[in-house]
Order: sequence, then C-alpha cells, then structure tokens
Amino acid sequence: MSSNSKASARAQKAAEMRAAQKKAEARRRILTIGGVALAMVLIVGGAIAVSLWQQDKDQAKLEEAVSAASDYGVAIGPEDAPHDVVIYEDFLCPFCGQLENATRDDLARLAADGKVRVEYRPFDLLSQSFGDYPIRATNAFALVLEKSGPEVAKKFHDLLFENQPSEQDPDAATDDDLVQLAVEAGATESEVRAGIESLSHKSWVDEATAEASDAGVEGTPTILLDGKVFQDGRTVEELAGNLVSELE
Amino acid sequence: MRDTGRSTLAWVGLAARLVTGGVWIVAGGLKITEPAASINAVRAYQLLPSSLAEVVGIALPAVELVVGLALVVGVFTRGAAVLSALLFVAFIVGIASVWARGIEIDCGCFGGGGTKAGAASAYPWEIARDAALLAASLLVASLRRTSLALDSLLFARGSEERASATEGAVS
Repeated sequence: MSSNSKASARAQKAAEMRAAQKKAEARRRILTIGGVALAMVLIVGGAIAVSLWQQDKDQAKLEEAVSAASDYGVAIGPEDAPHDVVIYEDFLCPFCGQLENATRDDLARLAADGKVRVEYRPFDLLSQSFGDYPIRATNAFALVLEKSGPEVAKKFHDLLFENQPSEQDPDAATDDDLVQLAVEAGATESEVRAGIESLSHKSWVDEATAEASDAGVEGTPTILLDGKVFQDGRTVEELAGNLVSELE
Repeated sequence: MRDTGRSTLAWVGLAARLVTGGVWIVAGGLKITEPAASINAVRAYQLLPSSLAEVVGIALPAVELVVGLALVVGVFTRGAAVLSALLFVAFIVGIASVWARGIEIDCGCFGGGGTKAGAASAYPWEIARDAALLAASLLVASLRRTSLALDSLLFARGSEERASATEGAVS
C-alpha cells in the first residue's frame, strides 16, 4: 500500500517534471522562431530602407540637374508655361523612337498652346554597345543647332527619329543620309556636310553625355515632368498617353 | 546503409543550399544599392503596371537577400527553399514571356536590366540556369534536414528524446 502510493507519487512527480519541461521547450521554440523571424524582417526592412534612401538620393540629384538650364538641347514652348518637360534621349534608342512617334504631335500642339515647355536633350547612351551612330547623329544635331538655329534643329531631331535605323544595323544610316535629313529640315548642305563627316561637334556630344551622366540619367528615354521623373505607364504607348493627358 | 544514404543526401542538400543561397545573396545584394536600375529591370518585362513595378523593384532584392542568407545559414531552411523555388518559377515564367512576346531585354538577374539588342540569344541559357537552381531549391525543400544547418541547433529534435530519457531515469 505505502510502496504503491510512493510509486504513484513518484510517477506524478515525473509527469509534472515532464510537463514543465515540455512547456519550457515549447516556450523556447516559440522564442527562437520569433527571434529568427524578427531578424529576417529587420534585414528585409533594412535592405528596403537602403534602396529607398538611395532612390531618394538619385532622384534629388536628377531633379537638381534638370532644374539647371542645359546648353545641350532644344526646347519648344514658352519659358513661362505652367508645365515643364525634359526628355533625355538617344537617337538610336528604339523606345525613344516609339515615344517620339507617340508624343511628337501632341507635345508640339501643347507647346504651341503655351501649356508646356518641352526640352529635348539628346546624348550618346548607346555607342558603346551599338557603334557610332548615336555619336554621328548627335554631332549632326549639334552642328545643325549651331548653324541653322533651334527651329531647324528641332525639325532635324524629329526627322532623325522618323528615319531611325535599327539597333541591329545602325550603319544603315550613313553620313550622306544625315546630310540629306539636315537639308530636308532646312539646313544648308555646304554648312553642314563637312562637319557631319568630320564629327566637328564631337566635344558637344561628349559634354552633353557627361552632363546626362552626372545627372544620373541611366536609361533613355528619361522623362521629367515638372522636375520629377515621369514613368507612369507599363509600355511606351501608355507612358506617352499618360504624359499627354497630364499636360492637357 | 540507409543511414549513409541519408547523410550523403544531407551533404548534397548542404551543397544545394550554399549554391542557391549564394546566388540569391549576390543577386539581391547587387540590386539593393541600385534601386533605379532594379525598377527599370522589372518594368522592362512589361508585365506589371508602373506603380507595382516600383514596389517589386524595391522589395524583390531585399527578399532575395534574406532567402539567400536563410539558405546559406540553414535557418527556416525548408520554408526558404520553397520561397526560393517559387521565385525561380516566377523568373522562368517572366523570361519565357518576354521571349514569347519578342521583347529583347537584359534579364536584370544580377543588376542591370532594360532593353538590349540580341538579348534573346541568352534566354535559353538563363532559363536553363534558373531551372537548375529551381531543382536545387526543390531538393532542399524535400529534405527533412541538411548538414550544417542552424535549424538543427535551434530546433534540436533531441529535446523530446532527452525528455523521455530523463523520464526513464526517474522511474
């Protein structure tokens, strides 16, 4: 009898110990899971914070660069227009060509109505990957701008995009073609042929490219609407549509 | 015999963890400090609306980094491996979809991204690479345990056995 109760007391004690141990074990487990999960959340949060901070910094730099007047581009529309659009572009970049097609007429109309000032800033983004067409075209643009003024340069700029060669075969557009387009835009052949063939404005191209790069422009087209990067759209067509409707 | 088989698998699992985790850490780490490029890369797939592309472009590198760290250290191993596998499926679908639509972009897998002429020639190899890493992730996810995983320390399965051993000693 007494040994029986002793045995049952012992068994009870053992059960209690086991239960306590299990409880402690469960608590430890939950704490561990919680701790690891917390560490993961902190790392994700930290990484996102770094990205957002970097993004802010990039954005601020770009906005500062854009607000400064540039000598390397051509603008349409009155300076005191309520909206201000800056487009960085490369004459070879296919998205730039698509954007041009989709926005040219609307932007020209809006600029003529005094609703927006649009500044096109061409530079050389792609020559490292696709040969010297971006340099040749931008050089020709700079030359035409100097010799024949901004109106002819804008027209030449439009023609360059309308007759854009493909990235696969950029040399399909020869220097002769550039001369012909410049003349079509209103330049005088004798004023531009030599400079187009000799890359007379190569330093202009380099400076424009350095300026874009300093501004943190990493791709084309980079559009800034009133100083803020504008990229609201899944495709170039959507982007163009949204940009124009912002300005209407 | 069965034990050797199991322990070999555990070491293979470790190798799969290190390779896959290493790739994630590099892929995520390179993108965290280049948010603009990362967002651009996501946008180039032309799958997500702009605002969502921005969220993904910022959040995805962070997730990649954590999945990579978890795999390398071996913490929450199976969960991390499942997430890793899902991400690889998503990337394979993404690359296959730009391929099918004839869009030529840098996959932006390790930074960079955006349009790139002639990029389509890299698609088969990119998909093959992601498929191999997907297989490695699935292997890790299928194993109860792999060698040198922090999980084995944190969630020692020995505790219950220890408890029953103590009980045995008491009675």
